[in-house]
Amino acid sequence: MRRFARVAGRIGEAALVVLALATLVFLALRILPGDPAALVLGDQASEAERAVINAKLHLDEPMWMQYARFVGGLATLDLGESVRRPGVSAVARVLDAIGPTASLAAVAVVLGAILGVGASVLGAGPWLGSRRGWIDRAATALAATPLLAFAPVLTFALAARLRVVPLPGDPEAGAAGLLFASGLLSLPLAAHVARVSRAALDDLGRAQFLGVARAKGASYARVLWMHALPAAIGPIVTVLGTQLGALLGGAVVLERLFERRGLGTLILEAYASRDLPVLEAAVVFSGALFVGAQQLAAAAHAAVDPRVRS
Amino acid sequence: MLAVTTAVASGSRSPTHLDPDLSWAPPSSAWPLGCGEAGVDLLALVAHATQRGVVLAASVALVGFVVGCPLGAVAGLARGGLERAVSRACDLVQAFPTFLLALVVLSAVRTPTRSHLAAVFLLTAWAPFTRLALAQTRVLRDAAFIEAARALGGGRARVVLRHLLPNLLGVVAVQLGSTAAAIVVSEAALAFVGFGTRDGISLGSVLDQGVSAMLRAPHVLFVGAAGVFLTSVALMIAGRAFDPSIAPGRRGH
Repeated sequence: MRRFARVAGRIGEAALVVLALATLVFLALRILPGDPAALVLGDQASEAERAVINAKLHLDEPMWMQYARFVGGLATLDLGESVRRPGVSAVARVLDAIGPTASLAAVAVVLGAILGVGASVLGAGPWLGSRRGWIDRAATALAATPLLAFAPVLTFALAARLRVVPLPGDPEAGAAGLLFASGLLSLPLAAHVARVSRAALDDLGRAQFLGVARAKGASYARVLWMHALPAAIGPIVTVLGTQLGALLGGAVVLERLFERRGLGTLILEAYASRDLPVLEAAVVFSGALFVGAQQLAAAAHAAVDPRVRS
Repeated sequence: MLAVTTAVASGSRSPTHLDPDLSWAPPSSAWPLGCGEAGVDLLALVAHATQRGVVLAASVALVGFVVGCPLGAVAGLARGGLERAVSRACDLVQAFPTFLLALVVLSAVRTPTRSHLAAVFLLTAWAPFTRLALAQTRVLRDAAFIEAARALGGGRARVVLRHLLPNLLGVVAVQLGSTAAAIVVSEAALAFVGFGTRDGISLGSVLDQGVSAMLRAPHVLFVGAAGVFLTSVALMIAGRAFDPSIAPGRRGH
């Protein structure tokens, strides 16, 4: 019963954040100065054309009816038709674009976790000797460097100069392109994971159960993998959760950089062509994806670490 | 660093003066950082962009600090329901996808300006300060000197203003730098994906030019990347400098 209440609480909280985002989006597009119909059609549009658009987007109704329609549309996944591509619903275009972005982010999270944990284990273990400090310094430097600064430079070096990865905008990029883009996206993530899991491992290094395992004859690597890492997994999952926002922003930047299809590109396209229903749908869905992933991280943390379940 | 950019920016160079003959010209003695699209002077562009970005970020971070710090302190002292509510609100706001909201607000207004950007960033900028102030208040509220101040009959407002806040500022002020750095990077990222202000004076638009001319004029890309990196690191270091200068505990030494 208590588990049920917890799950319900999480879902309610996520729904609240998504609703808040949706409401702000709704208000931003309607209250801020700038007539939406004029935004869509340009300044030279005639009164009649504006009236058609206003009726199509239901902008001629009172505000509370528009809002009720909008929230109802969210619940039934029907936010109207795309203005620019008549006949295609806004939600369909968004669902079409979610795949590439989700795979980009998912591969980045997996890569980031592997790289980060690997680096922290190397840093905590005895194998590198006095060079272990380098890993800490590299992680600190990487965590302080914005993705925006190093991604274009690395792309230039690897794609334009060395030609080991496909050039931005290459339609044949395929798996190599995905791997490179998510590799870039995963680097800051890996740096954060490495710092947090290193701190957790150092903390655990003073814990007694590791000494017990060591005394029973387990090798250092075995103690680290079998005993220390499972206990350090909580902070790692948490830091992955807190980095999701940066991941989302980074995904938009990288999709722009590599001209990849995805939610970010869809938002930019909808912005450039003033396709309001698509813009609304894309932003609210990205927000929902983000909040869902975050709640999943919190739930995963609670599942592996009984201490946070209070 | 700020001083250098300000000095250069206030010089005679103009970030909007175009000279098509010099399009994508590499660095030379007359144009130390070279030229970008349509012959814009990159040194002037970077200097102006850095200056405006830093002013925007610093003012947003300061307002967030001024709002967030007392809120956290009051909530921490009040305990109970208010403390829980503020703490939950911080969680929710910090989980909020600001980048998305910024995209929408900037597309809803016809000519995005820096004040629109500032308003969007402010929506979430107070939360880290409040969270830190709350955490620090939890530590301090049971300290003997706070109890003494209350026992001497100090009202709640007096305790917060005279006793609690001075002890919070040092800890919370360190956050100023990282918040400002994050805002500078977000602003550049927004400009990079095409959501910048109309004047195009942003580190992000330098990067944008650099990426589109990657093969022809790689120096533009390096200038943009270095600009973003240096500005963000400089702000973080500046934030760290707040620590000893404000913390009252160390002032006496």
